[in-house]
Amino acid sequence: MRNAYIDQFPEEARVIRAALWSSFLALMIGGTLGLIQGLHRTNVLRFIPSQDYYTVLTAHGVLLVITFTIFFLVGIFTWAVTTSLDRGVKDIRFTWGWYAMMSLGTLLVGVSILGGVVDQIPMNADVLYTFYSPFQAHPAFYVGFVLFVVGTWLAGFDWFRTWWAWKKDNPDERIPLPTFMALTTMLFWYLSSIGVAISILAFLLPWSLGIIDSVNPLLTRTLFWFFGHPVVYFWLMPAYMLWYTMLPKLSGGKLFSDPLARVVFVLFLILSTPVGIHHQYLDPGIAEGFKFIAMTNTMFLLLPSLLTAFTVVASMEHGARQRGGEGYLSWLKALPWRDPAFTGMALAGLMFAAGGFSGMINAGLSINYLVHNSWWVVGHFHLTVGTAVALTFMAASYWFIPQLTGKEIWNRSLGLVQVVLWFIGMTFMSNAMHRAGLFGIPRRTAEPQYEGFSFDPAVGTVAEIDAQVALGAALLTLSVYLFITNMVLTTIGGSTSDAIPDNTYAGTLSGPEDSPAIIDNLKLWTSIAVVLVIIAYSLPLASIIDAGGLFGPGIDPWKPSVVVDPSLVLESVRGVMP
Amino acid sequence: MNIHTYEKTWLAVAMVLIVGFIATITYGAVGPGIAMIDDDGGTIDPDTINDDERFSDPGVTHVGGNEYEAAVVAQAWAYTPSEITVPANSTVTFYVTSRDVTHSYTVAGTNVNTMVVPGQVSEMTVEFDEPGEYGILCNEYCGAYHHTMEGKLNVVPEDEFDLTELSTEAPDEAQLGNQTTINTTVSNDMNYDLETTATLEIGNQTVEQDVTVPAHGSETLEFAVDTTDFGTGDHDWTVTVDGHEGSGTLTVTNATEGGDGDA
Amino acid sequence: MRISKGGLLVIMAFLTPLIVELRTVLSWFGIRLSVVETGALGLALIVAVLIWAMWPSNGDTEAKLA
Repeated sequence: MRNAYIDQFPEEARVIRAALWSSFLALMIGGTLGLIQGLHRTNVLRFIPSQDYYTVLTAHGVLLVITFTIFFLVGIFTWAVTTSLDRGVKDIRFTWGWYAMMSLGTLLVGVSILGGVVDQIPMNADVLYTFYSPFQAHPAFYVGFVLFVVGTWLAGFDWFRTWWAWKKDNPDERIPLPTFMALTTMLFWYLSSIGVAISILAFLLPWSLGIIDSVNPLLTRTLFWFFGHPVVYFWLMPAYMLWYTMLPKLSGGKLFSDPLARVVFVLFLILSTPVGIHHQYLDPGIAEGFKFIAMTNTMFLLLPSLLTAFTVVASMEHGARQRGGEGYLSWLKALPWRDPAFTGMALAGLMFAAGGFSGMINAGLSINYLVHNSWWVVGHFHLTVGTAVALTFMAASYWFIPQLTGKEIWNRSLGLVQVVLWFIGMTFMSNAMHRAGLFGIPRRTAEPQYEGFSFDPAVGTVAEIDAQVALGAALLTLSVYLFITNMVLTTIGGSTSDAIPDNTYAGTLSGPEDSPAIIDNLKLWTSIAVVLVIIAYSLPLASIIDAGGLFGPGIDPWKPSVVVDPSLVLESVRGVMP
Repeated sequence: MNIHTYEKTWLAVAMVLIVGFIATITYGAVGPGIAMIDDDGGTIDPDTINDDERFSDPGVTHVGGNEYEAAVVAQAWAYTPSEITVPANSTVTFYVTSRDVTHSYTVAGTNVNTMVVPGQVSEMTVEFDEPGEYGILCNEYCGAYHHTMEGKLNVVPEDEFDLTELSTEAPDEAQLGNQTTINTTVSNDMNYDLETTATLEIGNQTVEQDVTVPAHGSETLEFAVDTTDFGTGDHDWTVTVDGHEGSGTLTVTNATEGGDGDA
Repeated sequence: MRISKGGLLVIMAFLTPLIVELRTVLSWFGIRLSVVETGALGLALIVAVLIWAMWPSNGDTEAKLA
């Protein structure tokens, strides 16, 4: 008797499949756009005008870091909550409701961005993923963004509701680990997305509708980063959950320590939000002391990631030894390297270590000035969200899609090649980006080739760096297509199999009984998180409002659709200058 | 709580690493005194930039000793001024603001880097030790032609640096027998008076005038030219002050050949 | 085979960052490799790993486990 997820929760499996497919679609489109950018910037192949580069960049960013990651997250968290509580969601119509809301939001955002290159759509949202004012997008962009975020809030409520129902039936039990992880993640998501909600609902949306005529750019920017850094942990936490609950099982063993896994998620709940100002180390109008607070909090946020590195490697070693592995390092040979789910996650973890190191550089208040907004940063987040998260999600799909469809993966060997190809492609691309950032090549720039000066690499040439990035981007895109092909053929062509493994997650060597019950006190940790946020943000926000006003000193909106010839603009600059 | 010994060791090492990072950054701030961009620059209404004392006449000015100020206005998609020249061994405080959207003011490949947010003034102090040439670029997306926004920073040897500017004003034509003048305005953005000599060369004549230009001020000199000395024809002239040159051509015509006779 | 095919694939992938960064490291010691030289070095490393992996293991059963 087969006991896969689709057999246990057929209704929920449908919603999760829908969420995962939304996510894969975003991955395919976003990945393709990434190749266009990689070739354009490096001047290998330019077939779009450079002005349109920024439309492509906006879509690439939004589709991959919002749509791809968060649709996957809601799918996986629904799996985690229902599997670990062993009960379905309370009302499946509600579940479909938040999925529909997120989809509608994505559609609105997508169409408004597409307006940047399609003349028939009278909209424009070439404002990049950060939509810094005074850039003003079409109202549909902001409305879509709000719908999407509110959809995730309702999804979180769905999981809380399921947990409350479970708690009533199991008053004395500890929260199962996967549910604990989903709930703590949602708590910091609620806390941090308040920032972007205020930014959009109180300022940007009324402004784009003409209700108010000025905003304070520093204020909306600070509110964005109030949300903008926690969102990276929102992407990362499902990957962490998979490393904690799936990777040990795939390695053939058990999770090393349940208590420390809980501690890690509690630390993320507490520390994720009061760090956003570390994206604003170079911003005027924020006192140095506030930047120091953000820096200190950020550094302490290294702790849960360093703990995770230990636990994940220890769990893998335990798995390998269960499979007969021996010796100091020879146990590595005993791991299931043929399994794309395992290998993908292990390689993602390895690259995350590299991404973590470049992240420590970024967090360093003073050295950040060298790399801020350079290509280094792009290299960094392609290792973190672009590999630790994306590769883990793709790898996990090789386990989840059979669970959700009851079908075997169409071609597992191709899956292995796909995850390895991602690793190789990302090595080339992110290595070159990091190095290019060190000698000053900027990010978010269609043509980083300037008239008055050229860049001076310490080793090699700019042309070699460009070639390395273009090669990497091509391999990564190929990898995405292999992944999508495999998933499509599994879903429509794969045969239903009785050999699908049971739907379970990893057991633990040291269980929840080894940790004090206070760890499960979500109210306590949330209160501490709120207090830390107040400490980190109340004074900076107050001083920004005090100095620049709630609505700024007469800031005019700038609609990116108004494209003018730069030579005319230069003349007008000379005109206004005395 | 039950924590494995290895994990305790790892935890301790991780904490040492974290505290070490914070300690080194703190030392960098209080020891060598690496300062961050902060709120010292204050706020500004972008519409009033042209009336602002600092930004109405952007560029480099001398504060005293080896200290200078550079005011820069960023705007899609250019900096005013686009080129900055400062001497080596100087300390330069940049004030940068934006007329429209968020930009950055970034000296490529260095840690001279600040965001330029409309409504705010970014204040950043930089020490330049060695002469060199650097590119300036905008690293924050600022619209369709963001990639064209660039500038230049020249750090020149001290003995090649000054803040003297020269402009000349002279008629193109004069009638033979008349007097005319070549006006020369010398401005000085140093924080001390400039005592120098202005030299006019015209034809085979050389005229010198001593001049004292006050700090942050300017002085206009009149070189009187008697056309009878040269005769009809085109006469190139050059005014030189401290290595700066202004030049033009004076055409001397016969009184009968046109003109109203008293130019 | 000393290791599984999957393991071999992963080892070869792992050589990529090593080869790419080896070039940077060597430049600190004044050894500047061109792209072609780096590629040749990488190829040599891959062949070396392949030979090591393909070499018949004498009664080592570890490989079968993986």
